[in-house]
Amino acid sequence: MGQLIILLPALPLLAALTNQLFSRQLGTQAARLSVSAAVITFVISVVLLGHILSTDTVSEVALGGTWGILLADPLSSLMAVLISGISLIVRIYSVRYMVEEAGYARFFMLLDLMAASLLIMVAAGDLITLLVAWHLVGVLLYFLLGFDTRSATASRYAFWTLITYRIGDLALVLAAGLLYHAYGTWSLSEIFAQITENPGAHQYFGMALEEVVGILLALGAFARSAQFLLHTWLPYTMDGPSPVSALMHAGIVNAGGFLVNRFAPVFIQTDSVLHLLFVVGLVTAIIGSVLMLTQNDIKKALGYSTMGQMGFMIMECGVGAFSLAIYHLIAHGLFKGTLFLGAGSVINEARQHDGVPKQDLYTFVVERRSAKMRQPWLVMAGITIAVPIIILILAHWMVAQDFFQKQGAIVLLFFGWVTGAQLLFATYRMGAQNVWRLVGMVIFSFAIIVLGYTVISHAFDLFLYPDPAFRSQIYSAAGIDVFWFDVLVVLTTAIIVAGWVLTYYSEQNRLWGEEQLNNLWLSFYALISREFYLTDLYAWLTRATLKAAARMNELLRWR
Amino acid sequence: MSQGLLIIAGLFLPLFPLSMVFNEVFDRVRAGKLRILLLLVWPQIGIGIAHSTGVEIPTWIIIWALLTALLYGFRALVLREFSLWVSFLATSSWAVLWAVMGGDVSGGALVFYALGFSAPLALLVLLGAELEKRFGAAYAGLYSGIAQTLPRLSGVLVLVVLAVVATPIFPGFSTMLSATINVLSQSFFAAFMVSVVWLVWAWAGVRLLQGFIIGESKNLTVSDISSGCVWSYVLMLSVLGIGGIYMIGGLS
Repeated sequence: MGQLIILLPALPLLAALTNQLFSRQLGTQAARLSVSAAVITFVISVVLLGHILSTDTVSEVALGGTWGILLADPLSSLMAVLISGISLIVRIYSVRYMVEEAGYARFFMLLDLMAASLLIMVAAGDLITLLVAWHLVGVLLYFLLGFDTRSATASRYAFWTLITYRIGDLALVLAAGLLYHAYGTWSLSEIFAQITENPGAHQYFGMALEEVVGILLALGAFARSAQFLLHTWLPYTMDGPSPVSALMHAGIVNAGGFLVNRFAPVFIQTDSVLHLLFVVGLVTAIIGSVLMLTQNDIKKALGYSTMGQMGFMIMECGVGAFSLAIYHLIAHGLFKGTLFLGAGSVINEARQHDGVPKQDLYTFVVERRSAKMRQPWLVMAGITIAVPIIILILAHWMVAQDFFQKQGAIVLLFFGWVTGAQLLFATYRMGAQNVWRLVGMVIFSFAIIVLGYTVISHAFDLFLYPDPAFRSQIYSAAGIDVFWFDVLVVLTTAIIVAGWVLTYYSEQNRLWGEEQLNNLWLSFYALISREFYLTDLYAWLTRATLKAAARMNELLRWR
Repeated sequence: MSQGLLIIAGLFLPLFPLSMVFNEVFDRVRAGKLRILLLLVWPQIGIGIAHSTGVEIPTWIIIWALLTALLYGFRALVLREFSLWVSFLATSSWAVLWAVMGGDVSGGALVFYALGFSAPLALLVLLGAELEKRFGAAYAGLYSGIAQTLPRLSGVLVLVVLAVVATPIFPGFSTMLSATINVLSQSFFAAFMVSVVWLVWAWAGVRLLQGFIIGESKNLTVSDISSGCVWSYVLMLSVLGIGGIYMIGGLS
């Protein structure tokens, strides 16, 4: 049954080849061929996942000698269902969406090749196959994003994507080289077995090899998942066809989370790499969300929303919740794919008919203006504090006895608490007819989401990492000293509470004048709307590099 | 004596400033066939000389070679003239062969590695001739948007440029991977340089493609290459692809 893994990339590859060779004869039938291959691929991936769920077996299929190994394991089968499912939906959507575009067959050929590359990437059982697929995904994405060859803008931003991806690819190449050099094999299972058997056996730069490799792998994940400083390409790639945006945001950009999970045996042997993942993910989540709130273009807002979500996913990896990151990327893939495919209709509908009543909800969600503060403030604060405590107790009772010991889970709940508290306050400010009913519904839905998230992540934990010792090692690698953990929690809580108190106090006593606040707000808005001047900086660096190259050519007289 | 021979090899596996000799020769040779011959033979002479010395390639030569590769890749970023781009990419890619020689690679394998770099460049010379036949000169940006007017030529051009910039599964990919692994044992900095060279090639390749392929077509009345011609290119690229897969298999 494990042999089915070969069919997963083989079918879209075959469809791509047929589409390319017989594009003239096939005409619009190219789409039908591509969709048929996608349907069969999806069915096979579901069968494979069912088989692995029921039998708990892991198998490797070697196509050639030392490379071309495909791995049928829980992670690859789960990711294969996600990729084949999303690429099927995208292809069905494209049948009519792209019908009037030139190069119809070429588009489906590229989609088929992309699906095949992604499926090989998630099933790769050796470093070379992983590198080949990883690299090809970036190249194919460039051609898909720049599909309209008349558009210089689409091509420009497709290039941004390619060059960022290449930076990540190179980090991955170096990581692969170091692993091969140290262990003398390309096979991932053999490398992981040696690392598990004898961790810290090799040194590089005076550090354990796992640490160096972990940092390089993290860089690869950052570039692929648009983490802060390597994120500028993501919101700008909206000139590509909508189906490509959907596929990219739902199935490609989250490869960083997959990479961390695939190399989990390396990451658990590191000291500080998971902390790096946490910090970078946290910064990305915050900046992505802030930038999203300032966008007027729905697709660009979705782009920044993806950035924020990817930050959260990497942060989950950083706190040791590896399987939660996989659940997150699946959930995000499904809802973001839906949003992108529906964005065109929403824009069209909004142009025809606004239809949104101008109430408090409208001013809060659309105009982003909060309503006036209502009393009693202290009751709301009390509820805010009670919610996370109840959830923690329920999680302890329903999920796992040692839940309190998992710092990562507590950190995530802490974020849930902060977000939930903001939502509670914001909702309370709106003038609903029955305030208590509204607040009750918010608490209920919030509890359902967090509890559901916790239960599902636990199920993913059991499926992806059945060995309890390994699961514990992941959390242990992500953990920090209890004293410092407590200090950080207290400090963060103090900063947030101080912020609340300061806001409340300044509003009550009118500490700052209207003009001062407006100026402060405008300066902050200018900074955000220019995206922290990062894109300007990168553009300036690019121009300076090209100018230097031209100058060098002149100096050396073109020889 | 051996080190002297290695320096002579630096004429053929270009080390800056000796690399200027090849670029001068390539510019002077105008006939397409001669240029192809030059591309295929020039690095083989270097490999022959370097291999005949029987000495281990010193790290300083590898670093020198990688700096040369970086210099020419970097300079290729702004090139608009097709044949000059080919010449600079040839110089840059052959210089990387020093890093491959630094490892435990047989002479026979080295010949294939060099061919893996040279063959796509030779195909590019042929495509450059096709462009010159139609437009009089092959300058990127001067005749943009050829994807609309010459779709077949554009498709082949894209694939050949991908082969030149060492995209999997073409032979250049395994050469770059081999170079990275070989130099990692000596210096992480050198391996990092190989990576940067690879990155710069991709950048240069995309800029060349964007100059020719992207944009509105200028209503030029020129004929595309024939389907027979396309099949010939596809056949040659398939051979390169199969060769690449074979060479990746030889990495272990």
